[in-house]
Amino acid sequence: MMPRIRAFFSALLRRRRMEDDLSTELRFHMDAYVDDLVARGTTRAEAMRRARIEFGPVEEVREECREARGLRWPDELRRNVRYALRVFRRSPAFTIAALATLALCIGANTAIFSVVDAVLLRPLPYPQPERLTMLGASMMRKGGKTGDPTLSHTGENWFLVRDHASALEAAAFSGATGVNLAAGGKAEYVRQQRVSAGFFHVLGLGPALGREFTRDEDRPGGASVAVLSHALWTRAFHGDASVLGRPIMLRGEPYTVIGVMPAGLRTSTPADVWTPLRATTNGEGGGWNYGIVARLAPGVSWAQAEAQARILGEEAGRNLHRSAGLPPDVAVSMYLVPFQSGLTGEVRTPLYVIWAAVGAVLLIGCVNVAGLLLAQGASRTREVATRIALGGGRAAVVRQLLTESLVLALCGSALGVLFGYAGVLALRRYALETMGIWQSIELNARVLGATGAMALLTSVLFGLIPALEAARTNLRPLLDRGGARGSSGGPRRWPRRVLVVGEVALSFVLLVTAGLLVRTFVNLMSLRPGFDSSGVLTAKISLLDARYSTSREVNRLMDQSLARIRALPGVTGAAAGLGLPYERPLNDGLRVLDGPGADGEFHSVNLFYITPEYFRVLRIPLLRGREIADSDGPRTAPVAVVNEAFVERFLRGQDALGTHIGGEKDSRAIVGVVGTVQQRDDWAAFVAPAPRPAVYIPVTQTEDGFLQLVHTWFEPSWIVRTSGAPQSLIPGVTRAVEAVDPLLPFAGFQTMDEVRAGSMRAQRFHAILAGTLGALALLLAAVGIYGLVANSVAARTRELGIRMALGATNGSAMGGVIAEGVGLALAGVAAGIGLSALAAGLLRSMMFGVSATDAATLAATACGLLLVAAAASFVPALRITRLNPAETLRHE
Amino acid sequence: MGKNELLQGTLDMLILKAISLGPLHGYGVLLRIQQISGGALEILQGSLYPALYRLETRGWIGSEWGESENKRRAKYYRLTAAGRRRLREETEQWNRMTSAIASVLNAVSEES
Repeated sequence: MMPRIRAFFSALLRRRRMEDDLSTELRFHMDAYVDDLVARGTTRAEAMRRARIEFGPVEEVREECREARGLRWPDELRRNVRYALRVFRRSPAFTIAALATLALCIGANTAIFSVVDAVLLRPLPYPQPERLTMLGASMMRKGGKTGDPTLSHTGENWFLVRDHASALEAAAFSGATGVNLAAGGKAEYVRQQRVSAGFFHVLGLGPALGREFTRDEDRPGGASVAVLSHALWTRAFHGDASVLGRPIMLRGEPYTVIGVMPAGLRTSTPADVWTPLRATTNGEGGGWNYGIVARLAPGVSWAQAEAQARILGEEAGRNLHRSAGLPPDVAVSMYLVPFQSGLTGEVRTPLYVIWAAVGAVLLIGCVNVAGLLLAQGASRTREVATRIALGGGRAAVVRQLLTESLVLALCGSALGVLFGYAGVLALRRYALETMGIWQSIELNARVLGATGAMALLTSVLFGLIPALEAARTNLRPLLDRGGARGSSGGPRRWPRRVLVVGEVALSFVLLVTAGLLVRTFVNLMSLRPGFDSSGVLTAKISLLDARYSTSREVNRLMDQSLARIRALPGVTGAAAGLGLPYERPLNDGLRVLDGPGADGEFHSVNLFYITPEYFRVLRIPLLRGREIADSDGPRTAPVAVVNEAFVERFLRGQDALGTHIGGEKDSRAIVGVVGTVQQRDDWAAFVAPAPRPAVYIPVTQTEDGFLQLVHTWFEPSWIVRTSGAPQSLIPGVTRAVEAVDPLLPFAGFQTMDEVRAGSMRAQRFHAILAGTLGALALLLAAVGIYGLVANSVAARTRELGIRMALGATNGSAMGGVIAEGVGLALAGVAAGIGLSALAAGLLRSMMFGVSATDAATLAATACGLLLVAAAASFVPALRITRLNPAETLRHE
Repeated sequence: MGKNELLQGTLDMLILKAISLGPLHGYGVLLRIQQISGGALEILQGSLYPALYRLETRGWIGSEWGESENKRRAKYYRLTAAGRRRLREETEQWNRMTSAIASVLNAVSEES
């Protein structure tokens, strides 16, 4: 066996040489024989003739030699490929249509798969990433539903895990906050993340320079130390290793640099500098504000770790019942969430939807190419029949036709990779920011491998049915009667019909999806903003800064800088405030203190602190009472302005003006009511803006502690209205703030229109993507129906000719043909409605203002699709009017 | 059996035998078989090479390029150890069969 295998491979590898050797050998044989014959007295010409005759057909001998070497299979493949290329050259229209279809479909899939790879498949860039986990928690009322799961924890939870989870090496972290870094006389806005001691150790990454935090540094009152990212270290310190031990000013406080992380490191969020978490159990730690990441301890299995998490969950529940007043019938559970899914949780659903959609487009493409092949097969029936009749073997015919499919699929994939690359470039621009993907989107070996697998799969998908169909060919009638002249239209037609129905059904689902996502986006766009976003420039400044820890300092900064900004040419108004429309604002719990609404319940409201001009600059209408005024100061009576939604929701018809609202101790009088503006409701990327009850308080009436707390999470905005282009104000505004405090950098400028667009970026991206895929699917379905009807007309020429000779009108003949196309589309739509019901479950969370089973969208899509189907059937049916019955019949 | 026809399977044996007497090129194999058989066995020239390739693929003969009597490049075949074993087996089998057939054919009717 071994020598045979070796001979096969060496023959395959040295194919060319073997052919040359064989030629030399055979030529030697001939020459020697001719020489012998000549030596025996024959003339050379006669000798050569005899040698050729006695040797037999040389090509056959060579073939037998190759076969003896076991080279039949690769030979047949070569022959088949060569033949396939000839077939494609002969029918360029078919080839171009099929290749374009495949290239588009495979390209789209390649591009989307590159995102799938970046989000779901590529391991995180840490050692042994499969042993990293996050801790999730959810609360459940006995007998009720499970509450929303969260990946955030209280300080108490974290200490519980840190001190008792023996199966896990755990670390906690906060989100990143923008802060001001001052070093070497320059100020820079950087992203700071606070992490517990051992955080980098859990991730499995040591610092490039220095060390990470110790437990001593990670407790309240510990030494102020910082670890720099490689990027910040090179940018701000020119990669100087002596930075270790040097002080930097972070948010106005001195920190000592103790480490630099390696280049390219990324934690749960982009960050430039890390400081100790210093978790607490009150204040920030009293809420669910810490993420917990853990590495399974050596030798611990996931099941063991899961079991421990469950026990810790019960313990955490007991703690919460005791300390946080959690009702006793609410149980807390903790569980493990693999780090990768924990980091990508939010983008998974939309990504699955998109992936399913491109998959459907690929299926539709396959169906179309299969249809094209079937049509081509019909015109090649005679060729196939002849081959079978000549002893070609049905299996050989199937192999030949599958080879054609494979060649087609491979060429299509090669083109598809080009399209895919264009798609990757586009996705890099749009998907990264929309979906918060942080592993790079690229065409790597895995993506290309998937494309190759796709090519193989599709070639079988679209090639098998036509190939088997062709091999079924019944010889006698075809060879007897000369092929496509049967009045029944030759080969069976149901496989193609089934394909067209399937393709219409899939297109329907895609179009409905696109319709729903476009309507979601339109609904969001047409939301009344409640203010005037044009001509407004906004800029954020981080006041998480020791120098701005008092209300007095914050007010001084705002007063002085706003005064300078108002003096700039073109500025018609300037204000500052915590929270912009469309953004996710600060949430706080407030009670109504008098009147019928005073039920003692705390309501969750959006809380804003503002300077007096805030409403005028944003043009939020004042409905009743007065705005916040310059006269509202720290020593005057506390006031608040609420929005209309607040009045409707909480005040139960009582007069808003004069009603008091407040928290545990404080109390404010409502002095005005303004219109409601759109706000984002949640941190999650896919939650739409919505009008929510809001309370606005003057920044002059805020306490130091309140400001310090809210400034750890939020950055106040400077808001400037101008009569000119907002962008042109940037240098002036920058200088105005610099004049007040040269070490206070802006976190970035955005026009209010950009803020608005940014809040709908995800929905916009989904609408465009789904719309593109839907359009592609519609086009493919139309081409599919067109091809089917065109073929049907061509195959039934004779039958139609006879019918028209017998008096059928153009109209009735065309009607019959069109009815076929539309009938199939109807069946497809019916199947599609069923499929849409399944897709609705996946889409529900992405909808805004429209139900995932919206009847109007379904009906409109169905009508549109049927119209397109009718048009796609009508065009080829027109050919019937050009039929000449006499001509057709003469061909008999 | 005509002059040009060989029993199925015997060609391989003849080739192995011819080569066992010393390395030969393809044409030489043809000549040697004709020569040994005194011209009684003639091999269809075209069928010789597929047989040689088959034998080589099975590892019974090896080949290398050499120079012929008239100074031309020619491919010479030689017997491998496996080929020698094979030839022995085939010869024994052939002998057993021919003697069996011979004894059948030589059987004399008891009545005559």
